[in-house]
Amino acid sequence: MFFHMVLERNMQLHPRHFGRDLRDKLVTKLMKDVEGTCSGHHGFVVAITGIDNVGKGLIRDGTGFVTFPVKYQCVVFRPFKGEILEAVVTMVNKMGFFAEAGPVQVFVSNHLIPDDMEFQAGDIPNYTTYDGSVKIQKESEVRLKIIGTRVDATEIFCIGTIKDDFLGVISDPGANS
Amino acid sequence: MSRRRDEYEDDVEEDDEYDGVDEEDDEADGYDDGGKERYARSLNVEYDEEATDVEQQALLPSVRDPKLWMVKCAIGREREVAVCLMQKCIDRGPELQIRSAIALDHLKNFIYIEADKEAHVKEAIKGMRNIFTGKIMLVPIKEMTDVLSVESKAIDISRDTWVRLKIGTYKGDLAKVVDVDNVRQRATVKVIPRIDLQALSNKLEGREVPKKKAFTPPARFMNIDEARELHIRVERRRDPATGDYFEKIEGMMFKDGFLYKNVSLKSLSTQNVQPTFDELEKFRQPGETGDGDMSSLSTLFANRKKGHFMKGDRVIVVKGDLRNLKGWVEKVEEDTVHIKPNEKGLPKTLAISDKDLCKYFEPGNHVKVVSGATEGATGMVVSVEGHVVNLVSDTTKELIRVFADNVVESSEVTSGVTKIGDYELHDLVVLDDNSFGVIIRVESEAFQVLKGVPERPDVALARLREIKYKVDKKIFAKDRYKNTLSVKDVVKILDGPCRGKQGPVEHIYKGVLFIYDRHHLEHAGFICVKSESCMMVGGSRANGERNGNSFTSKFSHLRTPPRVPTSSMRPPRGGYGGHNNFGGRGGGRGHDALIGATVKIRLGHYKGCKGRVKDVKGSTVRIELESQMKVVAGKSPFWEMCLMATLAFAVDRSHISDNVNVTPSRETSRYGMGSETPMHPSRTPLHPYMTPMRDSGVTPYHDGMRTPMRDRAWNPYTPMSPPRDNWEDGNPGSWGTSPQYQPGSPPSRAYEAPTPGSGWTNTPSNNYNEAGTPRDSGSAYANAPSPYLPSTPGGQPPMTPSSAYLPGTPGGQPMTPGSGGLDMMSPVVGADSEGPWFLPDILVNVRRPGDDTTPGVIREVLPDGSSKIALGSSGNGDVVTALPNEIEVVPPRKLDKIKIMGGAHRGATGKLIGIDGTDGIVKVDDTLDVKILDMVSLAKLVQA
Repeated sequence: MFFHMVLERNMQLHPRHFGRDLRDKLVTKLMKDVEGTCSGHHGFVVAITGIDNVGKGLIRDGTGFVTFPVKYQCVVFRPFKGEILEAVVTMVNKMGFFAEAGPVQVFVSNHLIPDDMEFQAGDIPNYTTYDGSVKIQKESEVRLKIIGTRVDATEIFCIGTIKDDFLGVISDPGANS
Repeated sequence: MSRRRDEYEDDVEEDDEYDGVDEEDDEADGYDDGGKERYARSLNVEYDEEATDVEQQALLPSVRDPKLWMVKCAIGREREVAVCLMQKCIDRGPELQIRSAIALDHLKNFIYIEADKEAHVKEAIKGMRNIFTGKIMLVPIKEMTDVLSVESKAIDISRDTWVRLKIGTYKGDLAKVVDVDNVRQRATVKVIPRIDLQALSNKLEGREVPKKKAFTPPARFMNIDEARELHIRVERRRDPATGDYFEKIEGMMFKDGFLYKNVSLKSLSTQNVQPTFDELEKFRQPGETGDGDMSSLSTLFANRKKGHFMKGDRVIVVKGDLRNLKGWVEKVEEDTVHIKPNEKGLPKTLAISDKDLCKYFEPGNHVKVVSGATEGATGMVVSVEGHVVNLVSDTTKELIRVFADNVVESSEVTSGVTKIGDYELHDLVVLDDNSFGVIIRVESEAFQVLKGVPERPDVALARLREIKYKVDKKIFAKDRYKNTLSVKDVVKILDGPCRGKQGPVEHIYKGVLFIYDRHHLEHAGFICVKSESCMMVGGSRANGERNGNSFTSKFSHLRTPPRVPTSSMRPPRGGYGGHNNFGGRGGGRGHDALIGATVKIRLGHYKGCKGRVKDVKGSTVRIELESQMKVVAGKSPFWEMCLMATLAFAVDRSHISDNVNVTPSRETSRYGMGSETPMHPSRTPLHPYMTPMRDSGVTPYHDGMRTPMRDRAWNPYTPMSPPRDNWEDGNPGSWGTSPQYQPGSPPSRAYEAPTPGSGWTNTPSNNYNEAGTPRDSGSAYANAPSPYLPSTPGGQPPMTPSSAYLPGTPGGQPMTPGSGGLDMMSPVVGADSEGPWFLPDILVNVRRPGDDTTPGVIREVLPDGSSKIALGSSGNGDVVTALPNEIEVVPPRKLDKIKIMGGAHRGATGKLIGIDGTDGIVKVDDTLDVKILDMVSLAKLVQA
């Protein structure tokens, strides 16, 4: 789920950036530092949408760096248990398949794939229904439900299922070709 | 114990049969009625009240209680002796002062007698047969309880329990009890047969086969058809008791592939059976599904540790009316668990026996395995099948099947054990057989090692002792395009089975890379490839991080491969050895240049050793050796080292200069040896610190080290090279004609003119201003790399490490960050030093083999690189011709008139108004600008 929220961060700025463009530098650095990171609490920071407030800088003894408390608005993405996501399959193997929904990696175990889908090894490993009408392979887009999340410092990993109503392939690259 | 206490209270002498095992023994009924009554009564009293631990504690024997004496008796007569004592007691009444006599089944040759004094014991046994009065031993108080402790709980073998066989072919095998005959002390168990059908058929047909060494046939299910094929007689019989049909072969009964075996109860072990998952799976295999689960549970429950359930655990009821009720554990008592049910309309808490409960997980729970083969692993539950939980391991992304009982909910993330001894998961290790590999998995006692065989993935199991050592060095390798690879660089695999994969290099060893690709599921994501079948992607990250300087490898990347060797052919500038090069750029960091560099010692006792430079002092360096845990000092002339990637890196300057003297010709080839190329990476550590200093405020240098700006800036580097090539071609004189210096060339010709005097006065300013104009930051950067290649034609005559060039004060950076002009200037300095930088009218020292150093003034620089020099400090003496490597520039002193030998201002004259470390502050005559230039590019001007 995406959220628009206000976060705060203490930015350390090298003295060489002091000058007219200080604020720009600060924002640039903030974007570089923050965008794409992941925190367990908020999830992935997708984009910074605005700066609310840049606090007073504090010069650090010894280094000359200055710390600015910066309040910024950003869009964060945090997957939740029970959430329905659409994701692109990145890898298929006999244990299940991995899919990515933006920065989040989701694993769908073969236990969580409908029983009528079977793993087919080969050049393009895939899961196919008995009648061959539905196929999950690399690059397929699937709709899945997240049933568990694990949050590390740098990534969020989810376990998903497609064994439920209205879940499964939504666009199949193999079908078009 | 409590029973014994009763007897104390009752104050009866009594023989004893605590063991309860001897049911068949008739003597057990030999108690007199009165005694039995008292005994029984007191028992009841005791057990009615639940004795707490503390009360139990109070019952332990103390010094005031009667003691136990161990008395020897005839073997096999223990019981008899005890009974005799009892009889004696009945006959003699209170006269006999012993309190009890005990014969233990498991203890031969001794009985215990309880009495207050040894004399009482002696009195009691006096005149008895089969008892030896000779030795009466006191049992220490502490051991008294052990004497009478009932050994383990009563063996409780019932149908469907899991047991292990203790003896025979099936020793250690898991078996399931099918039937128990308590009377005959036998049980029928079901095991997976270990039968060698071939041997059986041989035996049946009376064939004599030379007996091989005894071996245990592997356990597998009996295939009756197979047996029939071997002409083994198979009977089909109905078991009269159960009505089931069995296949009988040679008296052995089979059903569904299992062997039904009648064994003695004593040959079964029921304690700590702990069936593993695999074993249970096997037992389940032939068609058995649901109810098998229940039976396996019963044993699992029996093996539960104390404190299995904890408050907050989610549980499910598996037996009884409330089956499938889910809830949370509220409180745990000994055998009862109070749970809070999930369902509405039920009492708040329910007390349920822990045997009826099982842990329960839901898909998505994050759990940790607490026992079993995968102990310690964590993962997320993907599905639950009855009491089996499937989880996806966090680290390996593999599926693990475990019993719900062996799992607890946890938020921790581990892969199980990650370390044994000194070796940790993902370490690069060298094994016994000198092969090497990366630890990709740590099992309970061994490591799985992905061997360093690039052709195919080869996983070996290595025990701790099979590992020789861990490789923890920083090693470099070359990719297909000769880019230097180091750890953490991202590479793409160009051929082989894993072609197309991409990931950071985790380890490098003997030209083999271990790459970690998180999308690669096998071998924990590690791929082993030859470095040549890889291509570096993006810049070298590691260099950037480790050395704080990304551009060396960056620019080695940008360069076309053939250029790599040439570029590094730059010898360390003559007499200063490598380190002044850095010093020059380093804003006075002088010696630091070498510090931290990884070097290889090329001469002397420690030849071949690699190490890190710890300290540089004059011509001595201190090196921390990698191979031996010590720091050695490199003592002068014999120490010459080469940077680990084999750049000849002279630490001892005199040594190099010797070389130069001996071969006065251009020494480039020496440095051009392919092996010496990678000078750059190893040298870099120095620079990061300097660059930002100079450029601060001007460019975003410091930030990514790889900003687009930089890239742009670096590209011009390539066009830069021709002059150097020219120079390398042994044509130093051609520098002026090289395209790069076109704007500057006219003046340079002027210098070549034989009238040196005018040369410097009228030419420079304009032309050099012209040269200076295109000096945008791009070109400034373009020039920047050259300091790494600060070359002198072929090596200078030995220059004593003159103090002027040496250590500067690191702080002394007179740089005002705002003034871009100055900043840009500085990198330029080194740029031209690669050309022949001798100019007319500068004071030099000439050293010729066999001669002393003589000062002289260059009068003319000849096209072949040699110079005509007028000897004498003012240039009044004879004119001689000297090769560049015989010439050494005399460093100017403060307030000297100088001539700039390198950079955009080459040829300009000025005045040295100050020296700061290795930088000189120069006031240029023509423009009156103040410039900061490398001292190396300054020479003392002598006007003719």
